[in-house]
Amino acid sequence: MALLSSDNIKRIDLAGRVILTRVGLKISDENALMRLKSAGADVDFANKRVRFHGEWLDEMLRKAPNQFNLYSRDGKNDLRLGTGQVYFGNGGRVFRVLDMATQGFRRTLLRDVADTAGLTNVLNNVSFYIIACQAHDVDLPSYHLNDFFYAFNNTTKHVMGGCDTLDGLKQMWDLACFIAGGKDKFRERPFVSIITNPISPLTLDSTSLQIIEFCVLNGIPLACAPAPIAGATGPATLAGTLAQMHAEALAAVAISQAFSPGACVMYGAVPSAMDLRTMDLAMGSVETAMMNACAVSLAKIYGLPIYASAGVTDAKVPDIQSGFEKGVSCLLVAMAGADYIHLAAGMLDSGNSISYEQFVIDNEILGMVYRILDGVDVDANTLAVELVERVGPGGNYVTEEHTIQHMYRQFFYPALSVRKNFDVWEKDERPTPLTRANDFVHKWRQEHQPVLDPEQVLLIKERFAGIVNL
Amino acid sequence: MSYETLSDAVVKGDINTAKEATQRAVAAGDNIQDILDQGLIAAMDVVGGQFSKGLMFVPQMLRSAKTMQECVELLKPHFKEGEVTTKGKVVLGTVKGDLHDIGKNLVRMMLEGAGFSVIDLQVDVAPEAFVAKVNEEKAEIMGMSALLSTTMPAMSQTIKALVDSGIRDRVKVMIGGAPVTANYAEEIGADAYAPDAGSAVIEAKKMLGID
Repeated sequence: MALLSSDNIKRIDLAGRVILTRVGLKISDENALMRLKSAGADVDFANKRVRFHGEWLDEMLRKAPNQFNLYSRDGKNDLRLGTGQVYFGNGGRVFRVLDMATQGFRRTLLRDVADTAGLTNVLNNVSFYIIACQAHDVDLPSYHLNDFFYAFNNTTKHVMGGCDTLDGLKQMWDLACFIAGGKDKFRERPFVSIITNPISPLTLDSTSLQIIEFCVLNGIPLACAPAPIAGATGPATLAGTLAQMHAEALAAVAISQAFSPGACVMYGAVPSAMDLRTMDLAMGSVETAMMNACAVSLAKIYGLPIYASAGVTDAKVPDIQSGFEKGVSCLLVAMAGADYIHLAAGMLDSGNSISYEQFVIDNEILGMVYRILDGVDVDANTLAVELVERVGPGGNYVTEEHTIQHMYRQFFYPALSVRKNFDVWEKDERPTPLTRANDFVHKWRQEHQPVLDPEQVLLIKERFAGIVNL
Repeated sequence: MSYETLSDAVVKGDINTAKEATQRAVAAGDNIQDILDQGLIAAMDVVGGQFSKGLMFVPQMLRSAKTMQECVELLKPHFKEGEVTTKGKVVLGTVKGDLHDIGKNLVRMMLEGAGFSVIDLQVDVAPEAFVAKVNEEKAEIMGMSALLSTTMPAMSQTIKALVDSGIRDRVKVMIGGAPVTANYAEEIGADAYAPDAGSAVIEAKKMLGID
C-alpha cells in the first residue's frame, strides 16, 4: 500500500510550486539576493522575497545531480546516493546524554563527540556519522575545529555536521583539506558534508545562505533540510505540511544550483508533528514517519537524492516506546526508498538526548530493516522442491546441505534480541536488549582506538593550534 | 598415526571424506579405539568448542555429528566385546502420549556426537518399554522428552515404573521439553533437567562424572 497515490503526489508537488510562486522565500541577505537576481530569479528587494517561477525553478532543479557519492575516508563505506541504496546514520546535535551507570542525564561534552563517532564506526548498519552532540566544554573560537577533528579522529565513515557560523565552516574545511592532502583531493572524494536548515515557514537566514554558498563553491556536499512541524510551523494537515516543506526543499536545491550549477545537494526533509494537546514535540509520532516516507515520493519526482529522517523517538530512555516508534518509522521511510536517512541511531527525547546503548539497539533495528529491504529471493534453488521431496513427510531439514548453504543469508541474526530458552534466560540473569547493549558499550569502551594515525594527529595539532586535548 | 584428515572431515561435516579416511585407517589395521578417540571424538570436541563460541551453527554441528555416526557404523563390525568403550549408553524417547520428537532427535544427535551410544525408542514410549530397554541394554542414562503439559505426568509414571521394577538406582534419569522445568525434574525425582540439546550433553557428562 502506497501512502500517496501518484495523483496525490502530483497535487502536493503542484501545491508546493504554487507556494513558491505566490509566497516564495523570505531572504534578507543582500549578497544572496543579488546573486539570485543575476541568476534569473524573481527577487523583490523591498520585501526581501524571492519567488521561484515554474520554468526557472525547473531549469535550476535540472542542474542538480541525480546521483553523487558521499565518501568515507577508507573507501569502505562510500554512500552512492541516487542508486536506490538506502543508508542510515545518526542525527545531530543533542545536548544531553543518558548515563546508564547512574540512570541519570548529563550535558554532552567533546568526549561524547569522539565516543559517538567511535561507536558509530563499529556499528555495521550505521553508514555515516553526524556530529551527534554539542560539546559544552569547548569555547566558540575553535568550536568546529574541535568537534569535526574528534569526529574524524574516531570514525572513517562519512561525517556530516552543522556549522553555526561561516568562520566555523572554514575551520572545518581547512582541517578537512589538510587531512585529505589538499583542496583538490578533498573535492575528488569529499568525506564530510554539511547540514543547513531553512527556518519554516519559508525563511532562509543569512548565515545559512553564506554556508550554502561556501559549500557549493568549494565542493562540500550539502543538505538544506526544512523541518516544519505540523500544527506549529506547518499546517496541521499532513498534506499541507508536506506542500510547504516541498516548497522549502525545492527552493534550497534551486538556490544551491543558482550559486553553483551541478553542486552536490540533497533534497532535505525533516518534517515532524506537534502534539496539539500539550504542544509537546512529537518527533516519534506515526505522522512524522508518514510524512518522511511521503517526502521520498516528492524528491523522486525530480530525481533528487533525499536526506530524510527516521528513527527518532519521544521516549526519554531506551524502552518499549523507543522500540516501537523507531521500528515503525525506520521501516516505513526505508521502504519508501529514501537515500540518506538521518536521526536513525542513538537518539532519544525528541532529538534532545542520546544514549550510547540506544546507538547499539538502533543498529539492530536497522539490521532488521535491511533484511526486509533484501526481500524474499525466489528461484529454483530457494524453492527447494526437490529437497522437500527427498526429505519427505515427517523428516527434517536441520542437517541438509541446503540449510547450511542458505542459513547465513536467509536470516538476520540479531545480537541483542533475546531468543533463549526461558530457563537459560533466567540462569543468565534475565538479559534484555538493553543489558546486552550496555555490555556491548562497556566492551567497546575498553577496546576502541582513534582511527587517525598518531603521527598524523601530531601534524594536525601542530597546524591547528586550536585543537584541545581530550 | 595421525587422524588429521579424518578429524578435519568430521569438523567440516564432509561425510564422504570422513568415511574414506575411516576405512583407510581400519584397512591399515589401526586400533579401533584410537580411530574413535583421536579421530572422531577429538573432532567433535573441536566442533563443540566452535559451537560454543558462536563460530558454528546448529546444522553444521549436527552434520558433524552425523558424519561421526556414519564413521562409527563403519567401525562397529570391528568392535570386539568389551574392547571399545563409548562415553555411556543412553535410552531415549518421548513419553507415552507425546509424538513431538524434534527436540528429542536433536538431543540424540548431540549425544551421539559427544560419543554416547544412544538407543532411540522414538515416540509415544510406554513406561514399561522404557524400563525393559534400560534393563536390557544396561543403560547408564534414560532420557525422556515431553512437549505437552498433558503428557508430562507420564515422566513421573515412567520413573515410578523404574522404581517398581527395582532398577531406579542403576540408571540416571534426564528429562526435557518445552514445558519441563528444573523444579519439575526435582519434583518427580529425575536426576537432571536439560533446557536444550547442548545442555543435555553437559548434564549427561556431569551425571556420569565425565570431563
